[in-house]
Amino acid sequence: MENLLVALFEILSFGAIVVLVVLGLGIIASMMGIFNFAQGEFVLLGAYITYLAHTAGLPVWTGMVAAPFVVGALGFVLERLIVRRFYAAPIVAMLGTYALGLIIREIVRGLIGGLYISVPEPIGGSVALGSMHFSTWRLVIIVVTALVMVASYLLLSRTSFGLRVRASLENPALARASGISTNAIYGATFAFGAALAGLAGALIVPVFSLFADLGLRFLIQGFVAVMVGGIGSFAGPVAGAGVIGTLSAALPWVIQPVIADVLVFVLAIVFIKFRPQGLVSGKGI
Amino acid sequence: MSSDSDFQLNRRRFLSNFAFAGTAIATGVGSWVVPAGWANAAAGPIKVGIGTDLTGPMGYAGNADANVAKMVIKQINDAGGLLGRPLELYIEDTASNEAVAVGNVRKLIQRDKVDLVLGGITSSMRNAIKDVIVSRGKTLYIYPQLYEGKECTPNLFCTGPTPAQQCDEFIPWLIKNGGKKFALPSANYVWPHTLNVYARKVIEANGGEVVLEEYYPLDQIDFSSTVNRIISNKVDVVFNTVIPPGVGPFFKQLYEAGFLKNGGRLACVYYDENTLGINQPAEIEGLASCLDYFKALTKDDPVSAKLQADYDKAYPGNFLFAAGSAATGTYRGLKLWEAAVKEAGKIDRDGVAAALDHAKISEGPGGPAEMVPGKRHCKMNMYTAVAKNGNYEIVARSKGLVDPKEC
Repeated sequence: MENLLVALFEILSFGAIVVLVVLGLGIIASMMGIFNFAQGEFVLLGAYITYLAHTAGLPVWTGMVAAPFVVGALGFVLERLIVRRFYAAPIVAMLGTYALGLIIREIVRGLIGGLYISVPEPIGGSVALGSMHFSTWRLVIIVVTALVMVASYLLLSRTSFGLRVRASLENPALARASGISTNAIYGATFAFGAALAGLAGALIVPVFSLFADLGLRFLIQGFVAVMVGGIGSFAGPVAGAGVIGTLSAALPWVIQPVIADVLVFVLAIVFIKFRPQGLVSGKGI
Repeated sequence: MSSDSDFQLNRRRFLSNFAFAGTAIATGVGSWVVPAGWANAAAGPIKVGIGTDLTGPMGYAGNADANVAKMVIKQINDAGGLLGRPLELYIEDTASNEAVAVGNVRKLIQRDKVDLVLGGITSSMRNAIKDVIVSRGKTLYIYPQLYEGKECTPNLFCTGPTPAQQCDEFIPWLIKNGGKKFALPSANYVWPHTLNVYARKVIEANGGEVVLEEYYPLDQIDFSSTVNRIISNKVDVVFNTVIPPGVGPFFKQLYEAGFLKNGGRLACVYYDENTLGINQPAEIEGLASCLDYFKALTKDDPVSAKLQADYDKAYPGNFLFAAGSAATGTYRGLKLWEAAVKEAGKIDRDGVAAALDHAKISEGPGGPAEMVPGKRHCKMNMYTAVAKNGNYEIVARSKGLVDPKEC
């Protein structure tokens, strides 16, 4: 019983981490039709900013608050300068954003000397319940993920900004004819997706420590999650991330970790074979 | 129309130039030559080749090794060189990538015609480049990193610690200072697999037992199920061979699950000063490691203190002089080779290899070292250190040089 509770908590917390990381990726993929291969590096930048704040002697949480804004701003600039030129050619966009990611990753690797650096969590330790221990910070991540998910959903479904984002996705020509600046909307959406990645990086860096390949680690999982969930909606990638995150945390409890790692991908491929449109099909929220 | 075709042409020219520049970048910038400051001998300089990971995930270690090589070569040159000839250092980037490495190391052999290659950090890297150097290149090769043993190729000399050196004294200490129930959580590649076979033998010979031996993908970063099994099996000692990036989250999860609070002992034989920063000090309090050198030794060993001070002065920054990144093995390797060249009086491979087979140095990081004749491995002092509040404290040291027990 105790084991089961601990297992459920750990699986839920890792699922939440994957959802948090995939959220931004999913929004950019679904709302803009661009696979952003630099998303992992936006996560890394969020982590790096948190680390910078920590080394500057500031409390860690200030870095965590700053990270989404700084990374979002950077995303906005990169969209203006580079990503914008790729909208007509999604394949080129993949290569272009991959190159962007590579540049960011290697710069950060140079800055931190290729080392693995610990960043303390603002609220550390664990909550003890009898003989069971639950990591406090993972608890915080679960709560924040839930909040961010709800907030993003409300933003896209209930605000006029969200309406314009969806309009630009479904019919850009009509949206422009109706007086919506799709350029501005794309810029803002990309910045929003980047900001979510920055937040994810800031929140997970105390768990996984800072290293140059932090984002890369999640990129593959992120893409599998988006594929399984289905592109075109907000709910799709989130659902996919939930499934992939939960599976990859749950399988090692029952089978050998090395096999579990492969099995997640095998299951994903089989699933996509029989349901190519993903868990949630169609455009919209 | 004409301007259009001009543009085409320009673009084509631009692309071809760009491709050329790209190739140059891909193959060229990884090479450095440190020429000898003086040259008076008719025979020209002796060429020392270093092939190490300056970029990529192993870059933190490779840069330290290259720095050590520069330091040692400069010292030898300042003292008059070898056999009256200056030394010239050729450094190639193996880029943490075996495919790139083979090409770049071939450059050392074929273009630069070096007299010695020292380098490679991971075992996969050693296996990728050793044939290029030793068989086809007919050149002497020194491998400086701690590793799983069983490398018995002629003309390939190993100057880092082996499983016997890292386990024989360390595991009995762990049983005494931790307990009898061991867990062996491991990354799924050759070093942990081979080391665990040896470690298990030593554990069982000393009355301990292994209650868990598991292998994980190299990039796994969530260890909740493992931590749970370790806690519920009441493990006393976690003898870890999980590597970064997984090791940080793993130790953190163990700490959060109360492993240390319940009196558990962490052990990890590659942990040096580089890896201390992966976790908060409290999360690895009491972690034990066994290596040929720790910075803590500088307190009571003047030779180590001088080496460490020289290195820190010449190369301040992120790339540390540490045992786990092969920096000490690099120092030892170059100094043993220097002794061998002096004894041989010539620089041809067979002559130097014959002398290197029994070469000795009386001073080095952590103490003297000597090759075991016929074994191409190195006897050295070993130290057990425990992490206390973010620093190592030496808690045990070997009585004299420890045998590598290889080949």
